[in-house]
Amino acid sequence: MSTITVTVNGVVYREEIEPRLLLVDFLRDNLCLKGAHIGCEDGVCGACTVIVAGRAAKSCMMFAVQADGVEILTVEGLAQGARLHPIQEAFTEQHGLQCGFCTPAMVLSTYQLLARNPDPTAEQIRRGISGNICRCTGYTNIVKAVAAAAVKLRGAKASDAS
Amino acid sequence: MAEQSTAGWVGTNYRRKQDPRFLTGRGRYTDDIDLPGMLYGAILRSPHAHARIKSVNVEAAEKLPGVIAVLTGERAAQMCEPLPAVIALPGMRLNKSHAIAADKVRWVGEAVAAVAAQSRYIAEDALELIEVEYESLPAIVTIEQALAPDAAHLYEEWGTNVAMEHAFRTGDVDQALHEADLVVDESVAHHRYTGAPLEGRAVLADYDRITGELTAYISTQAPHQCRTLLAQILRIPEQKIRVIAPAIGGGFGNKLQVYDEVTPCLLSMATGRPVKWAESRSENLLAGVHSRDYVCGLKIGFRKDGTILGVKAKLVGNVGCDGTNRAAGIGALAVAAAYIPGPYKITNYAVEVTGVVSNKAPYGAYRGYGKDVANFPMERVLDIAARKLGISPREIRERNFIQPDEFPYQQCAGPVYDSGDYPACLRRALQMIDYDRVREEQARLRAAGRYIGVGFAAMLEPSGGAVPNCIFNGYEAATVRVTPQGGVTLLTGIQDIGQGVETTLAQIVADELSISPEDIKVIFGDTAMVPYGLGSWSSRGAAYGASCALMATRKVKDKILKIGGYLLKTRAEELELKGGKVASRDNPSRALSIAEIAKQLYLFPGPYLTLPEGLEPNLEATAYWTSPVVRWAPDEQGRLSIYTTHPSATFAALVEVDVATGHVKLLRFVIAHDAGTLINPMVVDGQIHGGVVQGISGALWEELKYDEAGNLLNPTFQDYLVPVAADLPDIEVAHLVSPSPFTPVGAKGMGEGGAIGSPAAVVNAVEDALAPFGVTIRGMPLTPERVLSLIREAASAPGARAAG
Ligand code: FES
Ligand code: FES
Repeated sequence: MSTITVTVNGVVYREEIEPRLLLVDFLRDNLCLKGAHIGCEDGVCGACTVIVAGRAAKSCMMFAVQADGVEILTVEGLAQGARLHPIQEAFTEQHGLQCGFCTPAMVLSTYQLLARNPDPTAEQIRRGISGNICRCTGYTNIVKAVAAAAVKLRGAKASDAS
Repeated sequence: MAEQSTAGWVGTNYRRKQDPRFLTGRGRYTDDIDLPGMLYGAILRSPHAHARIKSVNVEAAEKLPGVIAVLTGERAAQMCEPLPAVIALPGMRLNKSHAIAADKVRWVGEAVAAVAAQSRYIAEDALELIEVEYESLPAIVTIEQALAPDAAHLYEEWGTNVAMEHAFRTGDVDQALHEADLVVDESVAHHRYTGAPLEGRAVLADYDRITGELTAYISTQAPHQCRTLLAQILRIPEQKIRVIAPAIGGGFGNKLQVYDEVTPCLLSMATGRPVKWAESRSENLLAGVHSRDYVCGLKIGFRKDGTILGVKAKLVGNVGCDGTNRAAGIGALAVAAAYIPGPYKITNYAVEVTGVVSNKAPYGAYRGYGKDVANFPMERVLDIAARKLGISPREIRERNFIQPDEFPYQQCAGPVYDSGDYPACLRRALQMIDYDRVREEQARLRAAGRYIGVGFAAMLEPSGGAVPNCIFNGYEAATVRVTPQGGVTLLTGIQDIGQGVETTLAQIVADELSISPEDIKVIFGDTAMVPYGLGSWSSRGAAYGASCALMATRKVKDKILKIGGYLLKTRAEELELKGGKVASRDNPSRALSIAEIAKQLYLFPGPYLTLPEGLEPNLEATAYWTSPVVRWAPDEQGRLSIYTTHPSATFAALVEVDVATGHVKLLRFVIAHDAGTLINPMVVDGQIHGGVVQGISGALWEELKYDEAGNLLNPTFQDYLVPVAADLPDIEVAHLVSPSPFTPVGAKGMGEGGAIGSPAAVVNAVEDALAPFGVTIRGMPLTPERVLSLIREAASAPGARAAG
């Protein structure tokens, strides 16, 4: 057993865990944060994506012990109370989700993409979310949602600045 | 929120009610639910395609700390019944299989033992400690092997590997072929692939040994059928089983079965504790249901001008180990037989269908359910025939289309087509892809050594099916209830699996009651709450789900008007329901809101309010809807009619093929689609986008590949290639609207069509791109290797054309 201390969505957790425990299972089972989903456990589908130390990471590809001392953002940390994050709003407005299973991870990949590139082209969006599989939407509306989210976030930034 | 148009909520892009839950990680899929004392289940699967089980030793596994129970096939067989047939039509052979195999395994992936343990990790460790001794038998992988005279038989008691035979003929095909100017005789194949929903199968079973009651959370498209099947299999009275289908992470037809779903229930019964099993991706690909996998021979006689005179079809499907008991996949072949004529006027038609078993995974439903099987060979062969006749692919289709003034159209194999304008769909799709300009561009690029191609496919998407003697039966139920506050709940047997009925059904109810969808809560996926209904498959939400929701709402509306009339001392006929209020037509100030009426009725009912004779103190109604055109009794020609509506479309694909590497790049994909009345256009578009991409992916990338020993070679997402965003262009959709006269809303459905016509469009486009090489494509997926070998073969064929 190992003891780790992680900060998830601003809350500090200290937990005793088996060294072989995957980060995704730690988040889901120990912390009951069910927004990270398991679609392959193979590092391909991206459904388990969370933001680890500022970077999108596939949490099925990490052991929880590797997250010791690190800050993690999961989808549960995005909305403010009942108010959706602009990316989440854009996804519902553009119908960028159907069954919703890929959605938390898509939203977080978008979060990283737009943090790095606030005004991506459609091509860049497609490449930026290609670590995430969606089996339902065919991606057309996800691409639209990401573009719409970019507009919203740029608008928010501009009004913050003024 | 979308603005309500003057016509109402139907037809608007009302934002989906369920989205905020999914967007914030609160979707609550089966695997997200934990219960006190819960154990984790894991299933040991056969590494052999065909073998007898000699012995199973679970001693070491049982001793592993944290393991609570281990089940072998033998132990399980004592606890439950074999899997009942879920489809049993004349000409089908049924089998006797168990959820966990006891004597023989018939595919790599079949369950042979199961463990319940304190964690998933321990459960999986325990699987490795189980020793199974097998005596291997010859593996049957291909159709030829299955039909060989000396073949081993999967089910010895059958004395054959043929699981289904079905034949039908109408008109005089032989005479028609005899009179034809050209007879094209082609055989095309479609490989095995499947839906692979991102959430695999999952069950959380909670059996109470004291009460004998079972609550099972199941990721399923059909909770009620699950309950009925579990009751039979587990010998539990059905009223003691509650199946809850919470959020479903995609289904596409792949979640309409009960076999591995039984095992967590058995583990819970064995331990008296809740047991959760969420399959891994490899389990999903190895042991979940598969689809397609057929060869279809078409012999079509044409007149010089392209008119089809007669069609003779011979379809052989490889249904893997089972298409009748574990899942109802085999029925897809019979559906295909009914729909090979597609959107074309064909009067002389004969078809023979054979389904053979092999040592591959079970055959289940997957987006299309045979309509795809009907579509690909016909659309493929029409292109080949057009070339031989020297006419365009467009002309050959236009020559044969059923015309818009011919509806309702009695098709030769039994179905009655409701409405549509097939030529208009074709024109629209060609316009969208800018057909003439693309042809010019093609000529220009060819001169420069680049190969683009355009291909299209017309499609029919029979929806709202009702298969006799099958779990895919033909009715649906809805209950509408007004609360004392005037809000509304709709309880539906339709399951939301991502297609959005939680929202679209609310739009229907809202219009009828002149309230907002906001005030309506749609409840589904819980057999303890909703009336017995049949769930989501066959794109039936628009036909069945919407229709019964509308009928139930109409009944409630009638009650509201009657009770409103009583309270307002006005005859119901003089009242109308508008803006959520019952008001006198002549004097709109005499009005009561639904909330006021509900409050009066529920809180001061009966003798206190003294309702008039015949009125009950509730604002609630249940309605059932059955299709007016489904006919299970054969007509004088022996034909059935099992689908309600017939959405239609033309798909067009634009591709570029790199002839040096064999790589196919999809440049554009358009579809002109007619789903009748659109309830929520945004949702309809989404369904079409998703279906189209699954079909494209089947044509280009996805293939469940078996070796000759019956091993699945690619049971992970590392090598079963599912597309990501960068692989695809935007899918462009246009709608034509021919409302269905067979449904009260006029909606037809559209969940599957995308996947039906897209493979043919892509393949036709690739063949068009490679026309200078004289390539004819008869199989998929069009991987670079296949494309290169097609080019090579064409070049070495006698009379090969030089590319230029
Ligand atoms: S579950 Fe982690 S990448 Fe698929
Ligand atoms: S919405 Fe279902 S997988 Fe993306």
